Amino acid sequence: MRKTADYRTKLKPVWCRGCGNFGILSALTRIVLPDLGIPKHKTLIVSGIGCSSRIPAYVDSYGINALHGRAVPIAQGAKLASPELTVLAIGGDGDLFSIGAGHLPHVVRRNIDITCIMVNNFVYALTKGQISPTTPHLERGESPFLSWQLYPPVDPMLDMLSYNVSTLSSFIAQGIATNVPHLAGLIGEGIKHKGFSFILVLTPCATFDPPFLFSLLKERASYLREGEPVELPDSSKEKPWLHDPDNINLALRLAESPLLEKPYLGVFFRGR
Amino acid sequence: MLGSLLQRLAAWQGYFSQMPRYYGAQIRGGGSAVKLGLDGRCLSLPEDSLDILVCFNWEKYLEFEHELELKGESLVLFENNPSTEFNLPETSYQVDFSKRSHEVTGSTIDKNIVALGVLLRILALDEDQVKIAIDEDEELKLLKQNIPALEAGGQLFTDFSFPELRLSPARDNSTKLIMHGNAAMARAAIRAGCRVFFGYPITPAAEIMNEMQLELSLGKGVFLQAEDEIASSGMALGASLTGAKAMTATSGPGFDLMTEMLGLATAAEIPLVIIDVQRCGPSTGIPSRSEQSDLNHAIYGGHGDAPRVVIAPYDMEGCYRLAIESINIAQQFQTPVILLSDQYLGQTFISTSDEFLRKYYPAESAKRATNTLDEYYRYRLTEDSISPMADVGSEGLAYQTTGLAHNEKGEPSFDFETNQIMHLKRWSKLIPLCHRDELVKVLGKEESSRGVITWGSSAQVVLETVKDLGLQDTIKICIPELIHPLPERVKGFIKSTEKMLVIEMNYSGQLHRYLRSQLDLPKSTEIYARAGGQTFRRKELAGPITELTR
Repeated sequence: MRKTADYRTKLKPVWCRGCGNFGILSALTRIVLPDLGIPKHKTLIVSGIGCSSRIPAYVDSYGINALHGRAVPIAQGAKLASPELTVLAIGGDGDLFSIGAGHLPHVVRRNIDITCIMVNNFVYALTKGQISPTTPHLERGESPFLSWQLYPPVDPMLDMLSYNVSTLSSFIAQGIATNVPHLAGLIGEGIKHKGFSFILVLTPCATFDPPFLFSLLKERASYLREGEPVELPDSSKEKPWLHDPDNINLALRLAESPLLEKPYLGVFFRGR
Repeated sequence: MLGSLLQRLAAWQGYFSQMPRYYGAQIRGGGSAVKLGLDGRCLSLPEDSLDILVCFNWEKYLEFEHELELKGESLVLFENNPSTEFNLPETSYQVDFSKRSHEVTGSTIDKNIVALGVLLRILALDEDQVKIAIDEDEELKLLKQNIPALEAGGQLFTDFSFPELRLSPARDNSTKLIMHGNAAMARAAIRAGCRVFFGYPITPAAEIMNEMQLELSLGKGVFLQAEDEIASSGMALGASLTGAKAMTATSGPGFDLMTEMLGLATAAEIPLVIIDVQRCGPSTGIPSRSEQSDLNHAIYGGHGDAPRVVIAPYDMEGCYRLAIESINIAQQFQTPVILLSDQYLGQTFISTSDEFLRKYYPAESAKRATNTLDEYYRYRLTEDSISPMADVGSEGLAYQTTGLAHNEKGEPSFDFETNQIMHLKRWSKLIPLCHRDELVKVLGKEESSRGVITWGSSAQVVLETVKDLGLQDTIKICIPELIHPLPERVKGFIKSTEKMLVIEMNYSGQLHRYLRSQLDLPKSTEIYARAGGQTFRRKELAGPITELTR
């Protein structure tokens, strides 16, 4: 074990057993912060409201668990006033992509040097299981995706990867909460990247996601390696190409691949 | 433009003036008017009715008829005859400003300057002084390029032989400063050490943002136009966490959006200054017209018990002084402060002595935490309920805070006792403000048992009306600049009053209701409250104020 104790507060997390947030917390406190060697007083973690937004309370740096959807503006204000700080904004899929979605295109166009970690567990878990903008859906009229729901959630899923690629976020990556070292690598790279970094984390919700969702994601996940051919989903008629995170057009093609068919893990795009 | 040029030329010769602006919802063109009241002795409010009217368009005039009232002896210069039957005063003249402009400059666009030429002669402003001003003042370069138009106006004066309305000479001829309340607040913020500003455009507060942009550009600070008011207030709050004196400014609809951030600033005890330049509400209301109807929201807005400080200036000097005060109080008490201005205060151009700019104003900072071996508790309970604050970035003091109910350390805590104690802490830390007597103005005869309470820009009209009625030595007037928490001095004023009148510009009498919630009011308490959209006139207030003395 590395210097975990140094970056963990004494508080016991409120999360359920098997929650993916433990993996994200580990990535931050065991690997990212110790390895980057940023003094804890030079780090500020801002979060919204939701399960993942509890993270700041468990990391011994400066932190504020603020308002639902508002981590991104608060983080920008802090970074602009004190550019020497390392500022992270953390929120869930509902937080950053539903109530707080209006702030995203603007932080992207300003390219302010903060690292935004979107913890995507596909569900509103703190309020006990409502659909979020990223909840996958089956065809209209089929059995509901979330087992207890009376009506199938038929809202189309918001594709946050395509969104970020199309708005030209200057750093876009996707990790998975169950592979902590890989996720830590992405977050670390995002922090070091000069400009706005957006890191999506596929995260299991042990309580409200149907178990097959995450096992399916894990099973079909494909790691992106620079210079190596990308694995395309079976439905794709394209020819595989060599992964090049400098190329925004290739990033868009990756992002367009349906998440449930081929969840890519790694750096999608790294702008200058 | 005509008004601004005349105000400036008069300011060069030492005249005080107030110039409220009236305009509609148009982007460009459309109706707009100003009313300029020049005074050689002191800063005063323009009279209800006009001595001189220059009118280019009667149709548009009708939009502002209430503010630009004519009397029998008004001198009226107009370009075109009114299309409808119109009862013009005897001394009314049709003058072809546009035609004259075209004759001398080849364009009708300088008709304003031709009219200015006429007015300068009618008012008999010193011609040599006017020349010097035009020569030296960068702001008057438009005149410098248009001397023929100005002279053509002078010629018209001779041709028509208008009556002269010679201004009485200015008491002191030192050049006066021209500023509006919005600019005064922005400059005060800079003076108080604010170097971080986030805004979002809104009428009638946009000038504050524009001014801050100028002040903070080119590396002098941080300025950003946010995507909405949720973001602008959130950014200010984020900046404040790092120790910056941060501010934002808006009007009613934007203030609505800031409400959740206001609650967080109260809960997590983060200094935050929000200027609200009030306009007519509810909803979009009348964006360009003044009202005092955001008091309820300022005091009570948001869910939960969330104390905050509410301050309202009533004149431009107050806009400046109290903007500094607001930043100081936000720092000292680690609290949100709402600075309530209004469209009249914000946008009326004032020409006055620059004395208030030259005064000394202390700058306060938050009680800062120092790095000791003891464990740092962000919300440590102290005697004055104010906990030493660590700026994000300070070594050895890292803390985690939250809008959740929390303990002294800042950790989420849903324990009943802790929650109750933290409420007590946040409310009681503001109590010392109740003893800030200087934030309450009491004027007139202090021993009188008859008193008026008023606030914001309405107070100016109340004071002028009392003076007009010669009641300065009969009744007393109380103008609370600090409204929440309610100062003891206001309570004392009310307790020593037998007959009271509350005057404010909102439909429901918000200040009156607030005062009633704080203490028993005299049995004989009258309210004069009405919606905004039209400025108060002296003759309107003369009735209720006279009634008070009966």
